[in-house]
Amino acid sequence: MARDAAELSSPPPARLTEGGGAPVPALCLAPALVVMAAFALGLAALLQYSLLEFIPGSLRTGGLTSRNFQQVVAPQYLRAIWETILLSVATTLLTLVASYPVAYALARTRSTALRSCLLILTLAPFFTGAIVRTYAWILVLGNSGFINSFLLRAGLLENPYQMLFTSKGVLVGLVHFSMPVMILILAAGISHIDPTYERAAASLGANPVLTFLRVTLPLSLPGVVSGSLVVFAWTFSAFPTPELLGGGRVKMIANVVKDLALDSFNWPGSAAFAVVALGVTFVLVAAVARSVERLRPGGHP
Amino acid sequence: MVQQRRFTLTLALALLLGALGSPASAADPLVVSTWGGNWKDTVERVIAKPFTQKTGIPVEFEVGGTIDRLSKARVAKAQPLVDITFTTTHVGRLYISDGLFQKLDLAKIPNAREIFREAIRSDFHLGVWAYVYTIAYRTDQVKAEITKWADLWDPKFARKIGLPDFDPSHIITVSALLGGGNEKDWQKGQERLRRLKPNIAAFFSTDAQSQDLMKTGEAPIQVMLSVNAFHLVEQGLPVKLVSPKDVGGIVGIDTVGIMAGTKKVEAAYQFLNLALSREVQEQLVQGFKAGPVHAKARVPEKLRGQPGVFTTPQEWKEKAYILDDETRAKNLPAWKEWFNASIVAK
Repeated sequence: MARDAAELSSPPPARLTEGGGAPVPALCLAPALVVMAAFALGLAALLQYSLLEFIPGSLRTGGLTSRNFQQVVAPQYLRAIWETILLSVATTLLTLVASYPVAYALARTRSTALRSCLLILTLAPFFTGAIVRTYAWILVLGNSGFINSFLLRAGLLENPYQMLFTSKGVLVGLVHFSMPVMILILAAGISHIDPTYERAAASLGANPVLTFLRVTLPLSLPGVVSGSLVVFAWTFSAFPTPELLGGGRVKMIANVVKDLALDSFNWPGSAAFAVVALGVTFVLVAAVARSVERLRPGGHP
Repeated sequence: MVQQRRFTLTLALALLLGALGSPASAADPLVVSTWGGNWKDTVERVIAKPFTQKTGIPVEFEVGGTIDRLSKARVAKAQPLVDITFTTTHVGRLYISDGLFQKLDLAKIPNAREIFREAIRSDFHLGVWAYVYTIAYRTDQVKAEITKWADLWDPKFARKIGLPDFDPSHIITVSALLGGGNEKDWQKGQERLRRLKPNIAAFFSTDAQSQDLMKTGEAPIQVMLSVNAFHLVEQGLPVKLVSPKDVGGIVGIDTVGIMAGTKKVEAAYQFLNLALSREVQEQLVQGFKAGPVHAKARVPEKLRGQPGVFTTPQEWKEKAYILDDETRAKNLPAWKEWFNASIVAK
């Protein structure tokens, strides 16, 4: 009763849009508008550059043209887009599967020591940087690397198994690179699930597998959605991992953008490819979000 | 009160005189744009320090990759952030085409009279040292001897070769030359280059990647920058550089130019002249294991006759193949596109 009275007597929360245009909401919006305007200007510059004619052997650009966009459909560029989509989807799924048990343990363990240990192991890769982590995989996956050396010495292989400079090798690197983020997002999602639901399921006779499938997993879907979207989006723009582990053979979108801009000096072509890639990213992220959203409890069928 | 005011006035006057009296030109540094790491260290030690000792003008550096620095130069056009730029010869063409380099007055660079004619790349930029893209291989991992470019196509080298994909000019030209063409009718080498695909292990986009591929043995045969190969040899790696018998090494010349719009033109000319002096050239050769451009520079015995080290006009003629800069700058996008689609693609 006392609480109800306090709630009634407290002022209503400030609203961003009030009749007559209150000055406080406008001031709050101003910094956001400035930041967004800067983003928009950057994108506008990219779009403008993508419509200029490329002149080989010169840094100058010619007049307006749509040719840069016509070139994007060349087989090698479509192949790069397709490879990027495949690798991003595969990375998201594998990262999700590999990260879930770790995230679950992180969220559910009662041992402070174990939680600290898991957290340190999860965060440690962040402190080494993308390049160092990727170089480490070269030493592991190479023909004379750790895995091949072990298998050759054990007599399980006659010749080294080619992992480096293949899509498989890049996939391994991307999954490893993405796992810390996925684990943290999933763990946050799982920790929001009230453990009494799981105990209730168990008391009603559900075994641990059924409890997980019918209770924990559905309730953790917000974390799964968020983690998947983040991993998908940043894998889509991955650069150092395919650059180093792909050995030039695995070209993702960011690598093609760099090739065109920095190696061929074709900055208009590079801008056009970046614009197309941005469009593809928006469409795919929206599609992934929509499809995963349907899996939520109470989501649209 | 009067004393205090007099003190303040005296102090202000002293500060003003100090500011006016300081020799602005001597304190104003010359800013040099170059690559990082060993490149900057050597340029600083061999050229910048003697330059400062001689002129009293300090030298500052802006370091970065070739294209990063080009991008910055474009943004700062007409108000350059640097006074002198070291870059590759064909990227120098892009500086010129965009009006970023100023035309050189060779009368202000007396040492330019002594340099090989191959080092005079244009009216705007001059070569400072030379090297080649040639074959280098690990002798502990590749038992067969490689003596010519054509050997790269031998099936016994399947999945052993590393190639640069950021600039395939060298292998495209070699393939064209082997097919009876050159960089201008490079299509003559296309079919031959396609046949090289089974032998390619990896492509690299930086010098560091190239050296790592050699160190780890992932690509024990490479079309490699001679300077990088010498560096690996110095580190104790069993790497052999080849002077190909069929076609010479494809020459690379790093060049220097003065930025258009610089306010330190005279100091920049002095720097260039010093860089091309015989003494400095001899030290650059030792520092980089590269070839000198000064015709009278003495080269250490162990480097004489090595790939990329040309000491006579005859050696330049017989052992070097120099791509036409303009053709290279214009064709590079088409080369890259074809190379990515036909050679890099699986």
